[in-house]
Amino acid sequence: MRKGCEGMKHLKVIPENCTGCLSCMLACSFKHFKYFDLSKSRISVSRDDEFARFNPTVCILCEDKYCVESCPVGALSVHPEKGYILLDDEKCVSCKVCVSSCPYDGVKWDEDEGKPLFCDMCGGDPECVKHCKFAEALIVVP
Amino acid sequence: MDGSYKGRVILIDLSSGSIKVESLGEEYLTKYGGGRGAAAKILWDEVDETIEAMEPENIMIFSTGVLTGTHAPMSGRSTVTSKSPATGRYFKTSVGGHWGLALKMAGYDHIVIEGKADKPVYIYITPENVEIRDASSCWGKGVKATNRIIKNETSPEVEIACIGPAGENGVKFASIMFSYYNAAARGGIGSVMGSKNLKAIAVVGDRGRVSVVDPENFQKIVERVREELYNDTDAYTLHLCGTGATTDWLSDMSILPSYNFKRGKFPGAYYLTGKYLREAGYLKRKVGCAACIYACHRFTTVDEGPYAGTYSGGPEYETLSSFGSGCGVSDIELVLKANEISNDMGMDTISAGAAIQWAMECYERGIITKEDTGGIDLSWGSPEALTTLLEQIAKKEGFGKILAEGLKRASEIVGKDSWKWAVESRGLEHSRVETRGAFGYALAFALNPRGPDHLHTEVLAEFGLKEESRKVIKKITGSEEYAKPYLIEKRAEIVKWHEEIYAVTDSAGLCAFTSTASFGVDEEALAKMYTYATGYKFSPETIMKIGRRTVTLERCYNIREGHTRKDDTLPWRIMNEVQEDLLDKQPEKPVVSQEVLNKMLDDYYELVGWDKETGWPRPDTLRELGLDFCIDPIWKRGDKR
Repeated sequence: MRKGCEGMKHLKVIPENCTGCLSCMLACSFKHFKYFDLSKSRISVSRDDEFARFNPTVCILCEDKYCVESCPVGALSVHPEKGYILLDDEKCVSCKVCVSSCPYDGVKWDEDEGKPLFCDMCGGDPECVKHCKFAEALIVVP
Repeated sequence: MDGSYKGRVILIDLSSGSIKVESLGEEYLTKYGGGRGAAAKILWDEVDETIEAMEPENIMIFSTGVLTGTHAPMSGRSTVTSKSPATGRYFKTSVGGHWGLALKMAGYDHIVIEGKADKPVYIYITPENVEIRDASSCWGKGVKATNRIIKNETSPEVEIACIGPAGENGVKFASIMFSYYNAAARGGIGSVMGSKNLKAIAVVGDRGRVSVVDPENFQKIVERVREELYNDTDAYTLHLCGTGATTDWLSDMSILPSYNFKRGKFPGAYYLTGKYLREAGYLKRKVGCAACIYACHRFTTVDEGPYAGTYSGGPEYETLSSFGSGCGVSDIELVLKANEISNDMGMDTISAGAAIQWAMECYERGIITKEDTGGIDLSWGSPEALTTLLEQIAKKEGFGKILAEGLKRASEIVGKDSWKWAVESRGLEHSRVETRGAFGYALAFALNPRGPDHLHTEVLAEFGLKEESRKVIKKITGSEEYAKPYLIEKRAEIVKWHEEIYAVTDSAGLCAFTSTASFGVDEEALAKMYTYATGYKFSPETIMKIGRRTVTLERCYNIREGHTRKDDTLPWRIMNEVQEDLLDKQPEKPVVSQEVLNKMLDDYYELVGWDKETGWPRPDTLRELGLDFCIDPIWKRGDKR
């Protein structure tokens, strides 16, 4: 489970290392939108503060690509070199099936635009990971 | 204001139930730096010397930092400012967790609360709405239960700041607990909240937005600060072992406050370290406040033995030292239990531990007996003292009722010479730093507007333990030679710089570690982050001047309350009893004599332009800082002087 796409650079999540600081979400939002909005992050962290359980979820470029398979209008494809998911804005009908089809909770939803958000690895050098150097809940593999 | 600080304030009068939203003028940012500085100005304007801390007219100002909501490392902190029931004076307490991030995302920089509700209430804030709700479901409940109940009644995404039973009952060192386990601990500010019948402030902020004015440059300075913080010598140790990383080293150096500050060495110190918490399996998770890249906070549990089932956030170094070495306890499981009780009851572990270890010394000296304590054994290390008595304090029952008054008042009640080993001054219990072995800290503690603790002026650099701290001392004094904690020379300069940078670090919402322990943020970095985040021009000089203005205004507040030079003092034990484990370890005698303190105070007053006789900022000093409005209230006090 949770196996990322072999050969393609992707994020590996180690939930037990997550400290719940949300730096990854802030950095992700800022990288893509130039402002800070937790609901605009391609990675999200669910938190249970009472027991300090934190669980980050993000697209891990899985091999199965349930989202691509499930899209009823063929709006999703895989970047041929980088392996991340590409969205065709024109085709997308905002049905949210991609979100519910992902067993890893890796597809996020932009409420304002009514479109899915997929991790694009920031083009290969993800910002979230830079804020997680000590905790190592997010690492780039391979 | 367009950037990360908008000066948006929710004004709530709990007496009338009125809720208004207003915007502060830009000078609250440009002159006072937002956050803590802006709150100091609001408190100055709204709560004068005629208002007592527990009266409805006292206000509470909850503030997020100017940089809170951004990805600036460790920018998620908040402050609460009010008049303290412990000291009767200005009090700011700062806190981590995620509450500040939520409030900023919901669109607010401050909440100002006045008045008193006629029945228990909590405040519920969303980006769309602010409402006052009935709190009868959670009044009387502990912090964990309160969080669960309010989450149930509102939203699972809500961030909560609440008091426990201690705050409801008016314990002089009741805390406000944020995000379950982050404490705005000191000064009994939780009791001010309780006096207003206010149980909690719950905020949903997961749908909001925070902007900075110059994203490109903001990103660059954040990257620089982030890497410097990562590269700091102690950074990774803080992540791995938390603030209790060096408890054993402090004992080796004879500066671990032990047995109510009688000793500096503690035989079981290793069991009170963050290393031991990890190795022995008590540490279950390293926890980060919002936007923190270190995550020094802990989550610990006890899974077996008499305290099985214990779980809470922490313990921090202060707690390990206060309930541990201070009370003669090396059983870490007992410390974890005491930590859990304090956190859930909503009590400051520093002051609660200080009260108990003082009582233990009274017991040893025969001033307090089992008759007084209702049968509780107060021998050093007694488990009952850290369990049964601690709960009694929160509930103000039995002997705990006396300790709940704080050390100053408790020692008056118990009488005899017990005030001499009540390690407090001005009503605040001394935090866990051996000031007899660190004269910069001693001066900082004496000057701290809230009383003797480290959370206005962290002068760790004076120890010169790493290259980064020696560099800071060189920058301040011109030479690394002054990075020695037993020196008296240059302490004034060192304290002045640290006061200023600390004030703006607080106002920014940054953790104090960024500028006064890990050294990734200096006045230049602050100026850049403020400039790019807010769009107003800040220079390193204006940043430090904002810091000086903040510190001076807080000072003036206390002077209006009656503070004079004689109040710049330390606990009797620190000033009159040599710490024997430190003897022969440093050239200066390990005691902060009045003579030593006077010398440092004179140097400091001279340096910052305060009158040496009164300890009051001179009129020309106030004018230069743009604090002209403080001149008359201080210098024309007439017979009140």
